[in-house]
Amino acid sequence: MPGFDFSNHTRNAALHARGVPLPKATSTGTTIVGCIFDGGVVIAADTRATSGPIVADKNCEKLHYIAPQIWCAGAGTAADTEFTTALISSQLELHSLSTGRKPRVVTCMTMLKQHLFRYQGHIGAYLVVAGVDPTGVGLFTVHAHGSTDKLPYVTMGSGSLAAMSVFETQWKSKMTEQEAVTLASNAIQAGIFNDLGSGSNVDVAVITKDKTTLKRGYVKPNERSQKQKSYIFKRGTTAVLNEKIITRQEISKYVTVSELEGGETALGEKMDLDV
Amino acid sequence: MTMFSQNPLMNGPNYSFSQTPTMASGANKEHSFYPYTDNGGSTLAISGNDFMIMAGDTRSTSGYNINTRYSPKVFKIGGTTSSQDDATLVLSVVGFAADGHALKEKLDAIVKMYRYQHGKPMSVKACAQRLSTILYGKRFFPYYVTAILGGLDEDGKGAVYSYDPVGSYEREQCRAAGAAASLIMPFLDNQVNFKNQYIPGSGEGHALVERAKDPLPLVVVEALVKDAFDSAVERHIEVGDGLSMMLITKNGIEEKFLPLKKD
Amino acid sequence: MFISRSEYDRGINTFSPEGRLFQVEYSLEAIKLGSTAIGVATGGGVVLGVEKRVTSTLLETSSVEKIVEIDRHIGCAMSGLQADARSMVEHARVESQNHSFNFNEPLRVESCTQAICDLALRFGEGADGEESIMSRPFGVALLIAGYDEDGPQLYHAEPSGTFYRYDAKAIGSGSEGAQAELQNEFHKSLTIEEAETLVLKTLKQVMEEKLDSKNVQLASVTREKGFRIYTDEEMAKVVERLPAN
Repeated sequence: MPGFDFSNHTRNAALHARGVPLPKATSTGTTIVGCIFDGGVVIAADTRATSGPIVADKNCEKLHYIAPQIWCAGAGTAADTEFTTALISSQLELHSLSTGRKPRVVTCMTMLKQHLFRYQGHIGAYLVVAGVDPTGVGLFTVHAHGSTDKLPYVTMGSGSLAAMSVFETQWKSKMTEQEAVTLASNAIQAGIFNDLGSGSNVDVAVITKDKTTLKRGYVKPNERSQKQKSYIFKRGTTAVLNEKIITRQEISKYVTVSELEGGETALGEKMDLDV
Repeated sequence: MTMFSQNPLMNGPNYSFSQTPTMASGANKEHSFYPYTDNGGSTLAISGNDFMIMAGDTRSTSGYNINTRYSPKVFKIGGTTSSQDDATLVLSVVGFAADGHALKEKLDAIVKMYRYQHGKPMSVKACAQRLSTILYGKRFFPYYVTAILGGLDEDGKGAVYSYDPVGSYEREQCRAAGAAASLIMPFLDNQVNFKNQYIPGSGEGHALVERAKDPLPLVVVEALVKDAFDSAVERHIEVGDGLSMMLITKNGIEEKFLPLKKD
Repeated sequence: MFISRSEYDRGINTFSPEGRLFQVEYSLEAIKLGSTAIGVATGGGVVLGVEKRVTSTLLETSSVEKIVEIDRHIGCAMSGLQADARSMVEHARVESQNHSFNFNEPLRVESCTQAICDLALRFGEGADGEESIMSRPFGVALLIAGYDEDGPQLYHAEPSGTFYRYDAKAIGSGSEGAQAELQNEFHKSLTIEEAETLVLKTLKQVMEEKLDSKNVQLASVTREKGFRIYTDEEMAKVVERLPAN
């Protein structure tokens, strides 16, 4: 397991004591939920990532892959949820390879809680672990300090109270898959609209014995509105203070330059543009 | 928001009441009282040749919670009726909502009294100065607000006066205040005062000719305000729900309301 | 008659059965003993004039101050107890400064007059919790001249707390004769210079002493120069302009 590097700790503590602020981590201020149904489990999340009061990412993915039939929804410090789930995912894969069995949800949950407990809450990952394994359906929450819960429906993150209010009024045992997906989606939307740390879209993952379905952007209730005006500037509006032309010969010292075939245009990744 | 931390023995609750430790008698306990909260939101004012627009979102927040989706931050000031429909001045306040409300009530009462005492409506210039003295009057226990005052000046031109919480003020072309001020103000600099915009091909490097500062018509300014708030809502969690706008012209004040995103 | 009257003279805020406040009425009498003061309002400005009553040849006439400045755009002339006028003028000056501090604009002449009249009624026992300032009404009347957004204006304020606006007004011992003269001579198209002459001519008629440039004082309020007390040279020039006898 890769270890953490603490060599800057003393220096940073000294800087902080002298008034240098700690760097702001991106936090998934978040609503995440999970809910079991007849034959499977569904987890869902909103897609807003914040840095203080600023929206850092309007459409981030909070549903993390652990194993084909085990998925994890993460709240808390974005980096911690991503690295922790990735780390456990690879360990679980190795464990599965050496035992020759499918990974179990309890195993995943146990590894997560032990890892988090070791770091005494400094790894700010708050997770909902869900999956189906040979023993059946599993749904857990794991807190950053290492405590866990096993429940038929769970919520976490800053929008957990808003989401739980939906579960507490509408949840019932023995739901169909569609009922569970709708309920989880409604719970996330309660968070999206009533918790400022949550927003944008609803992502859903449905896990059954046979397959896992990731429904990215299951509901998009917050599409951006059309601008009143066009903000395209005439070419040459920005002052050019200096110009340097790098010739092909110069650049080819560092990279390979090749001629495009006639008529062909190079295409980068497509971007949405405000028009 | 915790206003008191006066648990007699510890700062937070204990596992149970029986576990509450008893404190040695005579030990000193520091009490604290912090009466301010930040209720988020943003305001924006732009003046034109013969009009001005004051706008503010209607969301009120505390922490990650929404107190209400409709709590306007833009008010008419100094009208003679309860509906204020003959008012000529507008005030926007953003920051601590309770202080903002108290400030608006006080200024409104003063402007109304002024009309009785001096037999004339208060000019925006006089109101601007009075607002400054009100704010400075609480120099050491300030109104925790960023205020913007708007109206038409003696020549009928749009006037925007912006304030800091203790009364320093300035007449400006435009001003954004509140939570998303740092997001909106650069947009205004570019789109209202045409900062960093040059006439293409008018020169080389520093010798470029700046884009002329033509006065903006009302429809354009209104579009800018809407776009500014739509964009602020996208990136600031404390801004949203609704946009309350007041358009001040020689014909009076026109109120407009627009829904904003609610997430 | 006189005895029954004195019974209601004790409490100064006590009405007599006929509905009169004797102390206030007496204060109006005090003004009739004062030196004459005249104000004339024209389209271009207001002119104030007072007689100085030089009671002794040893008196330094420049120390008799019966016309004073309230603000750059407001001044006043007084008749009656001068000491009382001091506190009224001080009050008016504070009000005027407070107004420009708070509102970044000059105080209106009418508002200034109103502020003075508010003070004029604060005599007698103080109201609940409020400290009384004066035990009796003021014994002075003021002619308040000023220039604001409504143009030049002249107001007359009395110890009773009432005030009226005038085109031309005389107060003090010679007021009856002077007012009659103003009534005859005033017209809307007077110039400042004509008003100066009218004020002095009227004063001359009602003064016991022979008018010269030392025993009268002039001041004016105009849009351009605001309130200004005339210098000795200016006084001399106006006196020179007066028709003989």
